[in-house]
Amino acid sequence: MKKIDQKESAVVVIGSGAGGGTMVYELTKAGIPCVCLEAGPFLKPEDYTNDEWGAFGQMAWLDKRTTSGNWRVAKDFPGLPTWLVKAVGGTTTHWAGATPRFLEYEFKTKSTYGDIKGASLMDWPISLKDMEPYYTKAENAIGSTHRGGRAALPANNNYKVFANGAKNVGYKFYATGPYGTNAEPYDGRPGSIQDGFNFQGDKNGSKWSTAKREIPRALDTGLLDLRTHAHVIKITHDKEGNADGVLYMDKDNNLQKQAAKVVIVSGNSIESPRLLMLSESSMYPDGLANSSGQVGRNYMRHMTGSMYARFEKPVNFYRGETMAGFCADEVKHNPNRGFAGGYYMETLALGPAFMGAFLEPGGWGREFTNMMDGYQNLAGMWLVGEDMPQSNNRITLSKTEKDQYGLPVPNVHFDDHPNDVAMREYAYEKAEALYKSVGAVQTWRTPPYPSTHNLGTNRMSAKAKDGVVDKWGRSHDIKNLFVADGSVMTTGAAANPTLTITALAIRTGEYLASELKKNNI
Amino acid sequence: MSISRRSFLVGAFATTVYASLWSIDKSQAKISAGSKKEDKEILMKMVRTLYPHDRFPSGPYDRTTEDVIKKGNSSPDNAVMLQEGIDKLKADGFDKLNFEKSTEYLENMGRTKFFEHVRGTSTVTLYNDKEVWELLGYEGYSSDKGGYINRGFNDLDWLPEPRIEEHPDLAAFLSESPKRYAEIKNMIAKELN
Repeated sequence: MKKIDQKESAVVVIGSGAGGGTMVYELTKAGIPCVCLEAGPFLKPEDYTNDEWGAFGQMAWLDKRTTSGNWRVAKDFPGLPTWLVKAVGGTTTHWAGATPRFLEYEFKTKSTYGDIKGASLMDWPISLKDMEPYYTKAENAIGSTHRGGRAALPANNNYKVFANGAKNVGYKFYATGPYGTNAEPYDGRPGSIQDGFNFQGDKNGSKWSTAKREIPRALDTGLLDLRTHAHVIKITHDKEGNADGVLYMDKDNNLQKQAAKVVIVSGNSIESPRLLMLSESSMYPDGLANSSGQVGRNYMRHMTGSMYARFEKPVNFYRGETMAGFCADEVKHNPNRGFAGGYYMETLALGPAFMGAFLEPGGWGREFTNMMDGYQNLAGMWLVGEDMPQSNNRITLSKTEKDQYGLPVPNVHFDDHPNDVAMREYAYEKAEALYKSVGAVQTWRTPPYPSTHNLGTNRMSAKAKDGVVDKWGRSHDIKNLFVADGSVMTTGAAANPTLTITALAIRTGEYLASELKKNNI
Repeated sequence: MSISRRSFLVGAFATTVYASLWSIDKSQAKISAGSKKEDKEILMKMVRTLYPHDRFPSGPYDRTTEDVIKKGNSSPDNAVMLQEGIDKLKADGFDKLNFEKSTEYLENMGRTKFFEHVRGTSTVTLYNDKEVWELLGYEGYSSDKGGYINRGFNDLDWLPEPRIEEHPDLAAFLSESPKRYAEIKNMIAKELN
């Protein structure tokens, strides 16, 4: 592996997930050496385990965090607002695999939905047209099924219930994808063996992750210096205000410094704004890239909820690809339903261990155990839709709580917007009707899990006063500071975000590579 | 494992959950609270009342109760909490209540630290028990057996085989402007009325 001197001003990427992992591949592929600092270890397929709690303990980001606001997660999981991965590959290790694109108007929600009280809607500075070529590249990288001539996954048991129910209630737009796990061998990865373990890392390697594809390929170029267990705590700057280095803790808890000519922050929507705020200085008292005051604001986590249903006959929904069932009929904005935006329905299955913990946090008693007792006969789906950005839903530095390095932990504040509540209620009703149409004997409205979709805390804007980064992911304030992760999303759309994060990172990577080659940075 | 990892969840998903996931320092967990036979029996009744499964044998409940006691002794504070909770159950004659009455009793207990300790530990430990997995028909580890591709991932036969490809109108549906889409929906609704 390449060794880059810590005193050499390098291109430094912080994080190795969908954003960071994609960035280092784009840059090294273009001949640009990079340092990638990843807070977690490099877990390989042989390290992954088919055990829900075991895998959670192995890879979840468990650094201390606090919560506030009226969202139910703050009550059920006050110390665990998110469910993200600390390892090479970041949350692509854990992601389920749904790869819908944003719809055209989902880049223009302010213009489309109009003013919604309490919502800080804003149009993106880019359009679907700008993104289309990058969506295609990202789908080809991920190997999305149903796209680019790639085969659809077969129907598993959970999908059979889901699709039949969808058909019964009059839906048309259901299928087993698009999905980021191979149905057939593609791009050096084998076809799925339907092992049912997805959130635990895919031992079979059929699922795309940057730990499987982008990072190894970047290492193969001989231009990547990948440092694991490297937890960045501050970005430093020179007298002119440009980023000139990063400070990080290594695995032995020693403070290290890497000089930098460009810094790309890809730490997810909690850690990225936190790091910018932790990097405050006398020149930047509110943190880096924060002249707008928007760093950490407009935190979005999608409208979510799950519906589990018990049937008289066996389903065995834990067998097979977890989220290879997709229905788009409710995604179109249609204010007649009583809310703005839309949502997808996607199959979901949990093992008994997670079902016990998440079906109804805090739940107990006979009704609860009736669901658990019928485990073999359960089907399930996840409801995921656009949530309203709100200025005060935000990541801040805690004034009282400190992390393992003595630094302020991030507080995640989130209040449900009335639009989110209305959409969730509507979605539960529709999901119940779907399962009842195929004979459900008991249904369960499962509240949101700790957030897996974390968006919007360094929003992209046309004008510097409205956001943190420009249309290329470059910070408005500091010309050699970029952000490449879900935090740049101006609004969140209904789509699962990984495809869009990856497509945006390819776009930012190509732009940065060309700027570096032209010596513009 | 450091305290910070174990304590990042409190409230409904009790702190103790984390003690059951990552082993605590056993040398410091000298079992004292809940060590008497009748203590364990009354706790086990509480666990069974919280998570009643008529077809489960005593094994999983026994192991879960052991875990409730073990985690309840993870610190002197916890041990006091556990013993006080057990003593209260005994004083109230919880052991003599039938299922209905014991459920009612627990409903009225409120979300005390003791209640959340027993409930939170039980929900994680009971449903992470390998015998319970078997009883519920869950097969657990599968990669080493070649997944389910030849072992029933699609063996459901009480519903018709659904389409797996996308509907041919999907692209048109997704690209239709929402304004136009709402107009069409309204037209259809009017037509149907």
